[in-house]
Amino acid sequence: MAIEETGENPIKNEGDIVTCRKLIRNVATTAGFGMTDVTRIVTAVSELARNVYVHAGSDGVMRWQLLYQPGKIGIQLVFEDYGKGIPDIDQAIEAGFTTAGTMGMGLSGVKRLMDEMHIQSELGIGTTITVAKWGRAK
Amino acid sequence: MNHSHSKYLSNFKNWAEQKRFLDFTEKDVEFLKKLHPFAIEYADSFVDQLYEHLLQFPDTKRFLSDEKTLNRLKLAQKAYFMDLTSGEYGEEYYQSRIKVGIAHQRIGLPPRVYMSTYCYYMQLIIPKIYGNPMFDVETANGVFLALHKIINLDQELAISSYIHAIDEVISRQTEEILEMSTPVIQIWDGVVAAPIIGMLDSGRTQQFMERLLEAIVETNSPVALIDITGVPQIDTATAQHLIDTINAVKLLGSQVIITGVRPVIAQTLVHLGIDLSGIITRPTMASGLKVALDKLNIKVMDNPRA
Amino acid sequence: MDGENNLSVIKLKNILLVTVPDDPGDDIIQELQTKVLHAIEKYQSKGLILDISSVNILDSFFARTISETTQMVALMGGQTVIAGMQPSVAITATELGLHLGKAISTLDVDRALDIFTDNFKLV
Ligand SMILES: Nc1ncnc2c1ncn2[C@@H]1O[C@H](COP(=O)(O)OP(=O)(O)OP(=O)(O)O)[C@@H](O)[C@H]1O
Ligand SMILES: [Mg+2]
Repeated sequence: MAIEETGENPIKNEGDIVTCRKLIRNVATTAGFGMTDVTRIVTAVSELARNVYVHAGSDGVMRWQLLYQPGKIGIQLVFEDYGKGIPDIDQAIEAGFTTAGTMGMGLSGVKRLMDEMHIQSELGIGTTITVAKWGRAK
Repeated sequence: MNHSHSKYLSNFKNWAEQKRFLDFTEKDVEFLKKLHPFAIEYADSFVDQLYEHLLQFPDTKRFLSDEKTLNRLKLAQKAYFMDLTSGEYGEEYYQSRIKVGIAHQRIGLPPRVYMSTYCYYMQLIIPKIYGNPMFDVETANGVFLALHKIINLDQELAISSYIHAIDEVISRQTEEILEMSTPVIQIWDGVVAAPIIGMLDSGRTQQFMERLLEAIVETNSPVALIDITGVPQIDTATAQHLIDTINAVKLLGSQVIITGVRPVIAQTLVHLGIDLSGIITRPTMASGLKVALDKLNIKVMDNPRA
Repeated sequence: MDGENNLSVIKLKNILLVTVPDDPGDDIIQELQTKVLHAIEKYQSKGLILDISSVNILDSFFARTISETTQMVALMGGQTVIAGMQPSVAITATELGLHLGKAISTLDVDRALDIFTDNFKLV
């Protein structure tokens, strides 16, 4: 079966969090990621999509792309919003930091679950968070 | 997990660099194209001669077992021979060369055979270059050098993909050895045991954690013994990995007992300030098993007749 | 999306059993909390078993809700037991740094029921 290489899903309401998770579970499983890696990836999706929904104050979008390297399979996920931005990125990824009175475990946790994470944010313009995970190709 | 590229297999970008290194330029492409009409003319005869030669040696003959394979390979050779002088050396060409290397490795064709086949090829082609009335000496030299360069590029790719394929085998075997070095076994109804031999790095812990948790669920075991007698040293990272494992096991509804805590490990743990106070630890696997059976309300009695 | 009827709270003697669907949305998780608390009040239950053996994702929102629910149930006199977490979910939750507060975990629903029997003296 041919695997589609890229795609996207909007993040506009709470229900989109589940839609994003289901979509990526499908993509990552078909691409050949192991069960635990699929769970890690989908959990990261849940955290980042929810952050857009809860914190950004704007709509957003999740884009995904499969990556291939000899013997390896990868997935890259980009979460983009046009909301208020993150004033201090270093602080935001600290475990326990939150402006919402919740646990503040999202960003620090995603960093542990994924192999790569990059955050770009500008106040009043928006936030783009890119993460990637690599696995052994089947 | 290792995210770096295979150190042997180039990517297309590196290949362009390799061309520059060999000084393979547009001029070479032009020279190769000059050879193309002759490639078309002689392809069939060259391929026939080549296979006749290969069939004379048991070493190469065994790869040409049946008529069907032979014909398929002859066609592929002919196509390759045309490609070599087609003047198109882009990504498609590059990919096809890599595939050939991997295919050769897969059927077990030794690189020795691959290399000497090229040499035989050259013996067939050179007279057609230097004995060619259409080529003056300068052109003949240019054509010869260009051919030499493109063949060198091809060989480099094929040999690299050979090595890459072997590299893959080695890393798969390493993983299997790792798996064998941390077996997870059910030692009692409701108790699994996992002796760890060697250091726990993060890649190995992830893998170990997965297998331990799966075994716990499969055997429905409320107690898991992790024996660290075979762990030579412990550092903060290893200890953190152990603590992660213990926490994950707890989320499943099972409990870890750490056994085989040797004096040097106990000393290091305390000196590093690692707090294992919420975790049951025992000096030996046997004493750990006693605790496990106790927890499961299982009483083991001495045989009164013994 | 999934209607209310998707989630049922089952009463077994003085215990409540809830089976959580595989990929529960925030609304379902919220609904779970409300339904459970009302049932505890109605039946004066001593315990809550959350069967999460089908659940294939547990993120910070779900973890927080479980932890809070456990606390609320405790305030109303009950103990919460999480039954049947999948290995991949447990590993991910650990790496994410999540904890489930005062909830107890068991390997499956049978063992969760054992917890509420006499020899464990929790009830
Ligand atoms: N897309 C975003 N736009 C604006 N701010 C964000 C965005 N994502 C995260 N933040 C900021 O970073 C902080 C940390 O995010 P993180 O996900 O780690 O914790 P949280 O969302 O507050 O809590 P939790 O994820 O544990 O429920 C947030 O409180 C918020 O201030
Ligand atoms: Mg968050």
